[in-house]
Amino acid sequence: MSIFRLLQATCSKPPSRLYSSSNFVPSCGLSCGRFYHSYEHDRPPPFSPTEDRILSAALSHVPTHGFTTTALTQGARAAGYLDISTNLFPAGPFSIVNYHLVTQRLALAKDVTPARHDPIKIPTNINKLILRRLHANKAIIHRWQEALALLATPTRLPTSLRELALLSDEILFLAGSTDVTSVWYTNRAGLAVIYASAELFMTTDTSENFVETEEFLARRLEEGEKIKSFVGGVGTWAGIQAGGFVDGMRSKGVRI
Amino acid sequence: MNSAKALRSLYKSSPYSQTPLCDFLLPSFTQVTSRRDYASITTSSESPKTEPAPEALKSETTAKRRRPLTKEQQQFLDSALRVNQAGELAAVLIYRHQTPPITRSHPHLRPLMHHMYSQEAGHFSTFNALLAKHRIRPTAMYPVWTAAASTLGWVTGLMGREAAMACTEAVETEIGGHYNGQVRVLLSWLKEMEEKGEEVGEELRELVDTLKRIRDEELEHLDEAVGEGAKEARPYELLNRAIRSGCKGAIWISERV
Repeated sequence: MSIFRLLQATCSKPPSRLYSSSNFVPSCGLSCGRFYHSYEHDRPPPFSPTEDRILSAALSHVPTHGFTTTALTQGARAAGYLDISTNLFPAGPFSIVNYHLVTQRLALAKDVTPARHDPIKIPTNINKLILRRLHANKAIIHRWQEALALLATPTRLPTSLRELALLSDEILFLAGSTDVTSVWYTNRAGLAVIYASAELFMTTDTSENFVETEEFLARRLEEGEKIKSFVGGVGTWAGIQAGGFVDGMRSKGVRI
Repeated sequence: MNSAKALRSLYKSSPYSQTPLCDFLLPSFTQVTSRRDYASITTSSESPKTEPAPEALKSETTAKRRRPLTKEQQQFLDSALRVNQAGELAAVLIYRHQTPPITRSHPHLRPLMHHMYSQEAGHFSTFNALLAKHRIRPTAMYPVWTAAASTLGWVTGLMGREAAMACTEAVETEIGGHYNGQVRVLLSWLKEMEEKGEEVGEELRELVDTLKRIRDEELEHLDEAVGEGAKEARPYELLNRAIRSGCKGAIWISERV
C-alpha cells in the first residue's frame, strides 16, 4: 500500500526537475535562426532584458572571477537584482559562456554586411571574419580555457556544437558563400574545426596582439583550401573519365 | 491507426516535443506536416479554377502592420524549399541522362527534350538561389538523389521513348501535386494575413508567383509526355506505380533530412 502511495505521489508530481534540464540554456532555442531566414523581419532577441542585464554584467566580472557562480552573483548584484536571481540560470556559469557566444555571433551578423558572392574573395573574407570573432575573445582570453572546459562537458556538448555550427554558418553566409550542394556540409564542418582549433591556440598565445594566432589561422585555412581543391579535383576527374568512357562506347555504336 | 494517433498526441503534449535537443539531433519523424492533406493531382497545365486569389497577391507594399512568420511557417518554408531544390536536381539529372539514348533513336524528340531540360535547369537555379538567400540547408541526401536520379533517367532512356515518357509523366504528376499543395498552403497564409489586416511582404508574394509558374511548367511537361505516348509504355502500371512511390518516398525523406 505504501509503495503504491509513493508511486502515486511521484507520478502526480509535475515533472519539473526532470525536464527543466532541457531549458538550461536561457531562451535561445531554435528561434535563433536555423530555419528560413526572412529579410523583412528582424529576428527576435535571444535573451530577455533581465537575462541580458544580469549576464552582460556577469561577463564584465569574468576577467577577475572567471566563469564561476561568483561572477554570476556579482553580475546580478551589479545589475541591481538580488543574489537569489541567479536561479534564473540553472546552468550556472555555463549561461555566461553561452551568452558570450550568442551575443558575439549576433554582433558579427549585425556589424558586417554580407559580402556579394565572389568565389575568389571568399577565403580572404572567411579569414577576416574569423579573426574578427577571435578578437572579440580578447578581454577574457586568459579565462577562456575555463569556458572551453564547460563547453566540452558531455551534457553541454549538444549546445556547444550547435552554437559552433551556427557560427560557421554565419561566417560562411557573411563571406558570400552560396554553395547549396553537399559541399554545404563539408564547408561548415571544416570551418568549425578550423575555428575551434584557432580558438584553442589563442588561449596559449602570448605574442603581441595575437600575431601567432593569425599565422596559425592562415596556415589552417590554406590547408583547408588545399584539401578542398584536391577532393574537388578528384571528383571532377572521375566525372570526366566516366563521361568520356560512356561517350566512347556510344561512338563505337554500343546502345547505352 | 487510432493508437498511433493517440501516441502522437501524447508525444505532442509531452515536454519532449519542446526539447531543443531532440529537434536538433533527430530528424522529426513524429511531426505531421499538413502538406499531403492539401495536395491533389492535377493533370492539366491550367491553374485550377478553385484556387483562391487573395487581393494581397496583387496589392503593393503598404505601411500596414507586419508580423514575423511563426516558427511553424518558417519550418514549413524551410523544408518546402529544400524539397523543391532536391526535386529539381533530380529532374535536371533525369532529363540529362535520358536525352542521349532517346534523341539517338528518336531524333524528332530533340527539341522537346531540350526544352524540358532547359526549363528544369532554370527551376534548379531558381531554387539554388532561394536556398542560398534564405539560408536553408540543402538535403543531406544530395549525393544519394544525384545517383538515384541519374540511374532512373538513364535506365528509362534505354528502355525507349514510351518508358522515358512514362517516367516523365509519373514524376511530373507527383511534383505537380506537390507544388500545388505548397501553393495552397501559402495562399491560405496570405488569406489569413489579409483578413487580419497585415502586410504580406514582397518575399511571400514573389514566392507564390514563382511556385505557380514552376508548377504550370511542370504540368506542361506532363501533358507533353502523355502526348508522346507515355501510356503505351510496356509495363505501364508497374513503371508508374514504382516511380511515383519512389518520388513520394524521396519527398518524405528530403522534408526531414
